[in-house]
Amino acid sequence: MRMAVKGIGVTGGFGTGVADLVAALKSGVSRMDGITVPSAQGPLQLPAFRAATERLEEFAPKRTLRRIDHYSKMGLLGAYLALQDGGLLDSDLSRLGVVVASGYGATATTFAFLDSIIADGDICASPTHFANSVHNSAAANISIMLGAKGPSLTVSQFDMSVPSALVSARQWLAEGRVDAVLFGAIDELSDLIGYLWHRQRGPQSGGSILPLQVDRESSVVGEGAAFLLLTRDDGGKGYCAIDGIETGSLYQGELSLPGDALMLLGADGRSELGARYRAMVPSRSRVACYAPIYGSMPAASGFDLACAALILQGGTAFPITGAAGCDMGGRPVELETERICAVRLAEANEYSAITMSRL
Amino acid sequence: MTHPWPVAITGLGCICAAGTNLDACMESLYGGRRAPAPSLRFSSNHPTRFPVFEVPDFSEPPELLRTSALGLHAAREAIADAGVDLETLRSLRVGVCVGTTVGSAMNNEQFCRDYRAGLDPDLAPIERILRSNPAAAIAREFGLTGPCQTVVNACASGTDAVGLAASWIRGGVCDMVIAGGADELGRITYNGFISLMITDDSPCKPFDRERKGLNLGEGAAMLILESEQLRSGRAKNARSFLLGYGSACDAHHLTAPKPDGEGLRYAIAEALSCSDTPAEEIAFVNAHGTGTPDNDRVESRVLADVLPGVPFLSTKGYTGHTLGAAGAIEAAFTVACLERGMVPGNAGFATPDPELGGTPVQGCSKIEGTVALSESLAFGGNNSVILLGKRGTA
Repeated sequence: MRMAVKGIGVTGGFGTGVADLVAALKSGVSRMDGITVPSAQGPLQLPAFRAATERLEEFAPKRTLRRIDHYSKMGLLGAYLALQDGGLLDSDLSRLGVVVASGYGATATTFAFLDSIIADGDICASPTHFANSVHNSAAANISIMLGAKGPSLTVSQFDMSVPSALVSARQWLAEGRVDAVLFGAIDELSDLIGYLWHRQRGPQSGGSILPLQVDRESSVVGEGAAFLLLTRDDGGKGYCAIDGIETGSLYQGELSLPGDALMLLGADGRSELGARYRAMVPSRSRVACYAPIYGSMPAASGFDLACAALILQGGTAFPITGAAGCDMGGRPVELETERICAVRLAEANEYSAITMSRL
Repeated sequence: MTHPWPVAITGLGCICAAGTNLDACMESLYGGRRAPAPSLRFSSNHPTRFPVFEVPDFSEPPELLRTSALGLHAAREAIADAGVDLETLRSLRVGVCVGTTVGSAMNNEQFCRDYRAGLDPDLAPIERILRSNPAAAIAREFGLTGPCQTVVNACASGTDAVGLAASWIRGGVCDMVIAGGADELGRITYNGFISLMITDDSPCKPFDRERKGLNLGEGAAMLILESEQLRSGRAKNARSFLLGYGSACDAHHLTAPKPDGEGLRYAIAEALSCSDTPAEEIAFVNAHGTGTPDNDRVESRVLADVLPGVPFLSTKGYTGHTLGAAGAIEAAFTVACLERGMVPGNAGFATPDPELGGTPVQGCSKIEGTVALSESLAFGGNNSVILLGKRGTA
């Protein structure tokens, strides 16, 4: 079944909303922030893409947001923006499903709960932090704030969270369980996630992701939310169609990718995955990659899909930031394109290929 | 809403405090045996030692979280029960859909203690978490090529995973899906539930007037779901069928069910309507029945309204609340009960509560019918219901 992307809601290092994302994609410039992590040499300031949620107050009274953590706020903002963009903000949402994909969940609140035990003992465990640390807290807060009483699903599959969740979202629409799905990807950059990123990846490369230089570690950790309002393709207006979702593990053979599509790669500067992209993507493929605009995080797949939708609506790919010295073997493009295949690879043979086209 | 066709269940596997395989679990249930006790695996400085349901004599390999190891244990039993060998599995498009709560959480207490103390802790515990995504761990172990999905819908995760897996089969996404749930017991969830004041300091008493809360448990269950084309091709009998699935969100509160049970009503209605099943066909309901005052009140009142007179029970008195595994474990129990035509008694129940919508099954009881509901309610307001059994030509 073909799905249609009817609305987009995003917040990330580039700003908030479609206009900010398009501006960053066109200029190739995104706002780099930072995060301070401890190290044996003292506190280190790392480059990072942070997401703001101030615009949430355009949609919900401030007092209703007081007890909602940053992770859920990012999701809420993405959800409201996608509904607004798709023209459903004030509509009947009884036939709306909510699907959230997240690699790590509400990490700051999870660690805050642990802190409450570590600092003050088991008897002082924080019930508020515990309740909000549950992985489906963002989906729950979205449903509560919107009054959305349809099915709700949260998926956590690390780098494959988005494509995996998209499989089930498509099934909901195909089986007629819902008429629309508010589909979102969220990941939060907490202090501990920043620390882990630093420990696993070592010194950063000056803050520029070079996604197509596949043997060089250049990842920059990010956070944000990318939401899509999805429906069955009803022939109406929208950004684009999602034609196919392939995801799984590949133990032998080659990934079958459409030869006529622009390959939007999930490469994000992580060196261990770079070689896999080079091996998987045919050498003559046209490639694009926009991780330098929003950073490295499991939920970045959601941003890839948002970028693909914008390209297909406008008909022209955006320039690729960080393509200098490209050794992917492909050709970065600024060409018209009718079809995009968003490819994402992860460790242990995992892959996804989401095919999208113009409506 | 379209009317999907039944999806065959050809294999089952289960491990929990009641037993290390499904047959052993059912013997415990029918025998009325349960043994909640303070944890032997972790300690707490809480003044009260709350009883839990631990899986005895089970240890996980160092490279995996206990959650994933429990899931793998159940998956091996289910695959053997389904009669598929490794070579066949690898030749098919086999997906994995697993519910959990802690299995993908980036939290390790000792790591965080060391980090907080300004040390540079060993990354091994984090790397173990990253290796242990429950669905991915099963796919990796058996070399499976289909989609993987770890569902984190809190305590409804296991039920949702089974319902979603059936839709993957119907949609032609997979030939076969290993679907279920897995969760381990640990200090973090133990302290968390105590902090919410919904934990009983004695063996739990679902649907009883004196109920004080839940006891935590751990375990896993896996179901093998497969397409009719595959099943008929290998002439394999189905143990049961996934006939219907419904889910809905209360959109009310992060941790409390909506008092009128609106989401649960929607979920039951969807599970029945999508399978064209009249309420009169339901032989029994395997209820969520955690033993918390709120859950049991809301759930029993909804059941009294929408399925009046249908016997219901909670099996959590034998297993504890196994969180993301609960829905899958209870689905496996439901199938086993339908096969035997008998349900166990609702352990822990003694005194009817006039505030509830009814009283659960007491003592082993024969059942009339071939179809049953298994339901889960969860933090986040998630309500999920699956309809299991054989009817008509299925």
